[in-house]
Formats: sequence, C-alpha cells, structure tokens
Amino acid sequence: MIQCNRAPAIKNAAGYIEGTLTVSQAEQFEDHYWNCPACLAYLQAIEAVGDELARQPVPQIAPVRRKPVFAWPVLVWTLGPVAAAAVITVMSIRMLSPHPAQPLQAHANPANSAQPSASPQPVHSSPAQQAATELADLSLPAFVMPTLRGTSMEAHFKQGMTAYGQGNCRDAVAALAQVPAQDKQERKSQLYSGLCQMHEGELAAAASSLHKVVDAGDSQQLELALYYLAQIQLVRNDPAGAHHFLVRTISLQGDLEQRARLQDRKVLALVDKDREGGTKSQDSK
Amino acid sequence: MGDHTETGNSLSGQTALEDERLVRALAEGNPEAEREFALRFLPRVRAMLRARSRNADLTADLVQDVMIESICALRRGKLREPSKLTAFVLAIARNILYSHFNNASRQPESLEFPDELPDLKSVSDYVELEDRRILAMEAIAQLDPFDKAILHLTLVEGLKPGLIAERLGLSPDVVRQRKVRATRRVAEFVASRSQNPLLTHYTTGKKP
Repeated sequence: MIQCNRAPAIKNAAGYIEGTLTVSQAEQFEDHYWNCPACLAYLQAIEAVGDELARQPVPQIAPVRRKPVFAWPVLVWTLGPVAAAAVITVMSIRMLSPHPAQPLQAHANPANSAQPSASPQPVHSSPAQQAATELADLSLPAFVMPTLRGTSMEAHFKQGMTAYGQGNCRDAVAALAQVPAQDKQERKSQLYSGLCQMHEGELAAAASSLHKVVDAGDSQQLELALYYLAQIQLVRNDPAGAHHFLVRTISLQGDLEQRARLQDRKVLALVDKDREGGTKSQDSK
Repeated sequence: MGDHTETGNSLSGQTALEDERLVRALAEGNPEAEREFALRFLPRVRAMLRARSRNADLTADLVQDVMIESICALRRGKLREPSKLTAFVLAIARNILYSHFNNASRQPESLEFPDELPDLKSVSDYVELEDRRILAMEAIAQLDPFDKAILHLTLVEGLKPGLIAERLGLSPDVVRQRKVRATRRVAEFVASRSQNPLLTHYTTGKKP
C-alpha cells in the first residue's frame, strides 16, 4: 500500500483514458493505481465524468468569431492610443510653459481618472510609478452568453450581462448586485461587477469584488480576477502589488498566462528602476 | 511513477497478511472471501477495462470474465505467492483484454466453470457508482460552456485538441490548457467527495 499525492494520476490519467499513452506507460500507470486508492479514485472520477457527459445532450457552442473593429470593449483599445497621444501633446505643451511641472496622471482610460478614497494617489510619484499606471490593461473581457440547450440563467444575471455586453457598466453592476448569494452564477456576478466597477473608476469596490472571487478558491473566474487585481494595483501605482497578482495569474497556466507574463516582465523592470532611483537619490543626499 | 512514497513496513506488512488470508480463504472456496475479493478488485478491474476499451458494454462483459477467471484460478490454488495477489489479478485482466483485441478466444483459461459461480453483486459497489455519477453531474454543472464542450469532445467523441480547436474557433494551445484545467477540476471535485468504503477498508485494514 502506498501513500500518494495523486501526482501520477494527474499526470497520466487523462492520457490513459484518451489512449495517448504507450502500452508500457499505460501498464506502468496500472501497476501504480491498482495499489493506490487515491489515484484509482482520480481515474474513476474522470471516467464517471466521461460517462455522464455521454448521457447529456451534446453542447451546442458557436465558434468564437472575431469581433467587429469598433465593438465594445475593443473601443477602449482602439481609442487608447489616440488618448495617449493627446496626453503626450498636453504634457509637451505644459513642459514648455513657465509653470512648474505637475505630476503625470494617466488619463488614457476613464478608470484612471477616479482614485479610491481608501488609498489616495501620492502627490509626488516616481517615474517608475507613472509608467506603472500606464502599463495597466483595463480592457474588459468579452462575455460569451451560453448557448447550450437547457442552460438556465438567473434573471438578474442575464440582465446584468446583457448590459455588460452593451458597455453599460452602471446598469450591469446594479443588476448583478441583485443576483442571489447562493446562485450558481454568484462567482461570475462578483467577477463582472468588479470589472465594471474598475471600468467606472471605483477601484476600492472593484478590488473588494475581485478579492471575493479569489478568496472563494479555484473557479473558472479565478484567473480573470487575479489578472484584473494586478491591473488595479498598477493603476494604484503599486508595481510590487501588481507583480504579486501577476505571478499568481501565471501560475494557473490559463488563457491569460502569456499576457500576464509579458506584463510582469515590464512591471519587474519598473520595480528595479524604482529601486535604482531610490538608491541614487539617497546617495546624492 | 515516482511521485509517491511507501508508508512503511507495517502497512505493507498488514496488506501482505490480508492477502495471504484472503488467498487461503479463496482456495478453501469460502463465499465470504469471494465477496471480499470482488469488493476489492471489481473497481480496479472495471476502471482499467473502461479506460483501455473505451466501451461500456464491452467493459461489463470483460469485467465478469476477469473476476470469474481470477476466482476460479484462486480456488484451484494457482497463486503460489499470496503477496502477489494484486499483480496476479492485473495480469489476468490484461490477458483477457489483449486476447479480446487480438480476436483470440475470449473464453477464460479454464473452460470448466464450477457449477457455483461466485456472486459478484454488491450493494456497496452500486452505491459507490451512483454516488460518483451524482458527483460527476454536479462537477459538470459547474463547468464553463466551453470547458464542457471541450471535455465532451475529448472524453466522449475522442477528438484531439487540434480538431476541437477548429470546431470551437479557439487555438489548440487554449484547448489544451482548458482541457487540462477542466479535467483536473472535475476529477478533484468528484474524487475528493466520493465515499469509497472499499478504499477505507483497504487502507486501514478494517471492514467497511
């Protein structure tokens, strides 16, 4: 009898059932799970799910299609560079004017304009912190309405997600707040409420909603919640906090892994730059 | 399979003693021992044949063959080293499976089945299967529609990630990642919640 952390089953069970293991690998796995209750249970679980899926109607899913160029939330991406160019122009004019330079505030996105009352924006932010704000990815993810036969959706959730799809964040938050606490869509409601609050600039409320999703443990929404918590930290000029959430996003190895990895590299460069800047200013003093 | 550790000599020694007792009782034709044997090995044989054959009806037929042939061989005292009971049954299961796929005779080694065939029906086995089925339904209900479609196309239709990606308009990498995560999620959900008195019995040495 052996004590096992199910690692052999996690590694081999799916391939064993799908027939992608070689005969020798399959027999090696059999030698193991015949003596390991934990791995046997894991294998039986996948088999039970397969059998149950075979009894259920075939899911009807429309293939993902490219969104139209100006469809919301692509609009945010499209107008982002234009807004950034406007900010640069204004900054250049200000730098040429005789008035003392003001600290840079990111206006590239409406979410940046409102700062949470709980953590006020520092008056004098370092260049690294300014760049951190600009790194924030505040584009909202698209939501795919389930098209499966027999899929029921709670009325408020449906209403909220319809508003979300139309870019109406205020109505979406109002409707999603009415989804019952024990509803199976509760986690999704919290996630999309958080994203809408972030988009509306209510960063403290957004962080609170997203933390609820994270605190509930592993779910389909966990990855998005962690990724957008990182974005909120960036808007708050907290690259170290953003790095923490990006690392957690990457560790899930999900759809956002590459995006988070790329952003984390830039965030880490900022953190290093900030440290170097701090050391130099101390030396000069 | 190097990700596990031996729990120690006491537990493996205990299992070896149990095996010895069980093999002796089976050789004596003890019906209670045959039920105990079925309770312990039926889930393993079924899980193996289900995965290897990917055919529920064939699995049901072959499971009976394996169990009957094993019990008959043990009644005749064919296992000389009782500590190798698990390996013995596993070998019989593989032989029967490979024979089936090689279109060889599917009759068990002994054509002289005894008049009194062992009773393999077990209430606890039925309860365990039903319990797992309900948990599987719950796990599936919690899946995202895309993940559910990916698991359906993988586990039921046997499609590879490339083909699934084409059908769903996703990239093969995304399908692979989602498949791994969804499989792990449902398996952990079902495995951690399923009540398996057999496993408790086998682990602790106590009867369920």
